[in-house]
Amino acid sequence: MSIVKDSGFEALEKLKSTEPPVFLAPSSISEVARTTSQYLFEKLKPFNPKSPFDQLLVDGFDAEQIWQQIDIQCQPLLSSLRQDVKRFAQNPKEIRKLGNLALNVSHEDDVDEMDMDGFDSDDDELEATESDGDEEEDDDEEEEDDVEEDEEEKSGDHEGIEDKFFKIKELEEFLEEGEAEEYGIDYKNKNGVAKRKKQNLRDDDEEEDDEEDEDEEEDDEFGAFAGGDDEEADKLGKARYDDFFGGKKKETKMKLKDLSEDDEAEIENQGDVKLSTHEKERIKLQSKIERMEKANLDAKHWTMQGEITAAKRPKNSALEVDLDFEHNARPAPVITEEVTASLEDLIKSRIIEARFDDVQRAASMPTKAKREAKEMDDSKSKKGLAEVYEDEYVRQANPTFAPTTFSDELKKEASMLFKRLCLKLDSLSHFHFTPKPVIEEMSIQTNVPAIAMEEVAPVAVSDAAMLAPEEIFSGKGDIKDESELTQEEKKRRRAKKKRKFKAESAKEPAKKARDDTTENPKTVTGSEEG
Amino acid sequence: MAESTQMEVETAAQTVTLPAKPTFKPLKAHEMSDGKVQFRKISVPPNRYSPLKKAWLDIYTPIYDQMKVDIRMNLKARKVELKTRADTPDISNLQKAADFVHAFMLGFDIPDAISLLRMDELYVESFEIKDVKTLKGEHLSRAIGRLSGKGGKTKFAIENSTKTRIVIADTRIHILGAFSNIKVARSSLCSLIMGSPAGKVYSKLRSVSARLNE
Repeated sequence: MSIVKDSGFEALEKLKSTEPPVFLAPSSISEVARTTSQYLFEKLKPFNPKSPFDQLLVDGFDAEQIWQQIDIQCQPLLSSLRQDVKRFAQNPKEIRKLGNLALNVSHEDDVDEMDMDGFDSDDDELEATESDGDEEEDDDEEEEDDVEEDEEEKSGDHEGIEDKFFKIKELEEFLEEGEAEEYGIDYKNKNGVAKRKKQNLRDDDEEEDDEEDEDEEEDDEFGAFAGGDDEEADKLGKARYDDFFGGKKKETKMKLKDLSEDDEAEIENQGDVKLSTHEKERIKLQSKIERMEKANLDAKHWTMQGEITAAKRPKNSALEVDLDFEHNARPAPVITEEVTASLEDLIKSRIIEARFDDVQRAASMPTKAKREAKEMDDSKSKKGLAEVYEDEYVRQANPTFAPTTFSDELKKEASMLFKRLCLKLDSLSHFHFTPKPVIEEMSIQTNVPAIAMEEVAPVAVSDAAMLAPEEIFSGKGDIKDESELTQEEKKRRRAKKKRKFKAESAKEPAKKARDDTTENPKTVTGSEEG
Repeated sequence: MAESTQMEVETAAQTVTLPAKPTFKPLKAHEMSDGKVQFRKISVPPNRYSPLKKAWLDIYTPIYDQMKVDIRMNLKARKVELKTRADTPDISNLQKAADFVHAFMLGFDIPDAISLLRMDELYVESFEIKDVKTLKGEHLSRAIGRLSGKGGKTKFAIENSTKTRIVIADTRIHILGAFSNIKVARSSLCSLIMGSPAGKVYSKLRSVSARLNE
């Protein structure tokens, strides 16, 4: 073992000194490499309690076999490391119990590693290259270097913003701590997967060292959570800068995977993409949304455009659409058998009742009494203007005393005539006719011969109304005829006559004398008047 | 100081009350214009001379007895003179009397003219045919004939329906009556002058008079 150790150390030193291109070609350096790996294995064995091998068997073994040996060790180691990390995550205080500077440093390195995972794969690559370059160094040193470099990087980037309160490095560390706790699996896996990918890209000769280095890194980094879907891990692990910002094929692939696919056609074109039900539903929904959005952007159908004239819609388009508008008129009644039957029943019943609802002549309203139409009198009015106004005033003041108007007199006359007519007709027609009572009227009686009156007079008029003989002639004394008169009586009569005549003529000349004076203007004098 | 003010107030209260407003009786006609006598003189046209003579007593009696206005005929000047008396109650009596006499001079009858004495709101309006329409010769004669109508029936119809009295003296027309009635009569006369037939005037009169008499 000691020989081995010594030789191993020497071999390590030798490897360190060799030029990098020598590693590329298979050469004698392989022996040296084997011894180096053995030496390193021995060195690290105490740290791995569950290791099945006591030493690394390198003689006569293939590179692949040597690798397998190392690999076998990883599995139990990883699980134990995982548990440890969990423990430390839950109880950070336990870390102090360890009291080991190396462990503390390693823990810090873990944190740093976790932080670093948040960065681009650039950092990973850097790490890898660094680890490749410094394989002879201790893991701690490497890690320290890495950490230092990372720290330098970080500090170099953000000098402007930081001050005593705010350090971006610390912020980022905090954020990545939180993220790691949430997405622990993917986080670690990414890192691990990235490492594995790097492995595949390198030569076998270097693989050993790489493997060891990576193993060690993995051991100390506590990148223990190698769970999760291998497929997904593969996908995520294969993500490179080129995938996002370069190489179109890969880019589209990544986008399809990361984002939700818009078209199933694309997926189908890809062919090799399998979608979950949720993703399929999402695809459908997206297509639906797109269709609806497109419809919204387009112009509306004419039926949805509000008020529209015939010019703006296509020809005869209104015929195709079922228009709804108010019909003010009642629709014509549909004549069915029942309707006619009901009507006929109604008619029959009405006839039986004799209730015909005939139109009754509306009783004419009592017309307003026609205004007394004043007769247009053509003749000269008998009354003077003063009398006219006087009569009007009297009529207004006390209607009873008012003298009858022309129309009143006409009315009176008319009513009298009608009464007489009625009386005559009654006397002829009425079976139990009784004559009207005689009204004593003051009327002028004409001296009509009695015989004529008796013949024509109506029953109502009695003979008593006739003029009495005394009224005809009321003479006193002896009444003699002219033939019986003596001469003296004749003379007496003549003298009487003459006296009468003279008396009358005496008045007349007096009147006539007056007229004569007016007719003769010359004789007019002022003194005569007054 | 207070006493002096008190004193002032008391004196103010004690001042004599103002005398009562004087009440004056309305002036008599005689006292008006500083007691001078009021005159009215109405000239007599020659055609009205003999009617005046005939109807003198009918004129004189109401004026002298009821209106209490002195009246006399100045034969030389051919004027009727009116004068207020001492006992003329109202100055308007003189004017009414003057209007009455003037109406008689225009040609109105006594019973019609008397209405001027009895009623206040009666007026006399005069106008000429040429004021309405310039007519000459035969047209004028025909117009006058239209106005009067046959036997004066158109004139009487207007008079009766509008409660006015109309005098047509050659080319002059005088209307006596109340203001609104005069208006109606005038419009119908004007329409007759302008040439409308009598029947048309009658129909108009019928409607208007009915409204007037309400």
